Amino acid sequence: MNGRTCVDTAPLDEILTRYPASEAALIQVLQDVHRAYHYLPCDVLVKVAEALEVPLAKVFSVGTFYKAFSLVPQGRTIVRVCTGTACHIRGADRLIEEFERELKIKPGETTADMGFTVKTVNCVGACAMAPVVIVGETYHGGAEPAKVAKYIAEKEADHEN
Amino acid sequence: MVTLTIDGRVAKVPAGATVLDAARAIGVRIPTLCQHEALEPWGGCRLCLVDVTKKEWRGWQKMVVSCMFPAEDGLAVATATERVVATRKVVLDLLLARCPDTPLVQRLAHEHGIERTSYQPNPEPTDCVLCGLCTRVCDSIGVSAIATVDRGAGKEVAPPFHQPPPDCIGCLACAEVCPTDCIPYQTSDSARSIWGKTFTMVRCPHCGRAHITREQAAFYAGRGGVPESYFETCDACKRTQMAKTFTSLSAVR
Repeated sequence: MNGRTCVDTAPLDEILTRYPASEAALIQVLQDVHRAYHYLPCDVLVKVAEALEVPLAKVFSVGTFYKAFSLVPQGRTIVRVCTGTACHIRGADRLIEEFERELKIKPGETTADMGFTVKTVNCVGACAMAPVVIVGETYHGGAEPAKVAKYIAEKEADHEN
Repeated sequence: MVTLTIDGRVAKVPAGATVLDAARAIGVRIPTLCQHEALEPWGGCRLCLVDVTKKEWRGWQKMVVSCMFPAEDGLAVATATERVVATRKVVLDLLLARCPDTPLVQRLAHEHGIERTSYQPNPEPTDCVLCGLCTRVCDSIGVSAIATVDRGAGKEVAPPFHQPPPDCIGCLACAEVCPTDCIPYQTSDSARSIWGKTFTMVRCPHCGRAHITREQAAFYAGRGGVPESYFETCDACKRTQMAKTFTSLSAVR
């Protein structure tokens, strides 16, 4: 298959031991795969389909349906800049610009060292904290462009640990 | 049997029938796109909307998809109320925006008085109405080689990874069932191709007709526990053989 890369299947084997071989487990398995690999590699999806006895077309259908899943490799940390109405009004655009400047990537792109992927999201349901930036699992309410470098540095320190 | 009325006419249908079945039984036409008698109803195209009410609902009525709504005793169905027609027109208007060049969609829209979509026409016209018949027929055969991919405006029917589908057996059921004939394929006595995958044809050992792919024969054999060679003989020759067997039986003679 085009663009297929060989990935280590050890994390997948470990994930599969935790779930019954049933279609009902598909989304949970894909979520765990996504957490382990930071995306859904093609050959892992093929193995998931075999292990859960779900047609590959169904696995691909689910994998492409949800925004939470990506079929292209992503950075170890996903930066989500909320651009919902409240965040937009409170300056989400300037936050995006600042991430662009700091990481040298546009929304939807990944840094060359596979450290960060920047995405825009439409609302994270935390409008009272607007503007909101989520770096990995950390929510930054009242985010400021001047603090963007700090948000990134904190996470980079984690990457090194 | 249950008795209901459709546009004021009485229909009697067996229990378990849908409102659409009942309408068709008495010759009331309701447009559909995603319905097929060989498949479970799906309720996806929303063209078969009708208003239903009952005496005890005291004037309340609701709009339902007739292909899935079970016929009940005392149900009063109206297939062309103002709001049903208006809603159906919105559906067709949207479909025409998606598929501006598709004859079937144009015809259905024309029947409802729509010549041109009131929405922005699709800059990349497609013939696929996303009725899901192809993926559902593939599922019902037990192959599931294709499925819908992506969502929203980008949703489409495709094999996994947009590559020739490993599970496809080349039966052409998806292309046959497609109401707009938008699944391309080629078939000849020697080869068949669909979804970018090429299949070798099996010729009937008796009449030489190429009627099935090697993969189809293998799949049916695996599913039914019947030897693959059984499927190599075409249906017409199987009937001839069967007739010969019967006539040679001593009981018949």
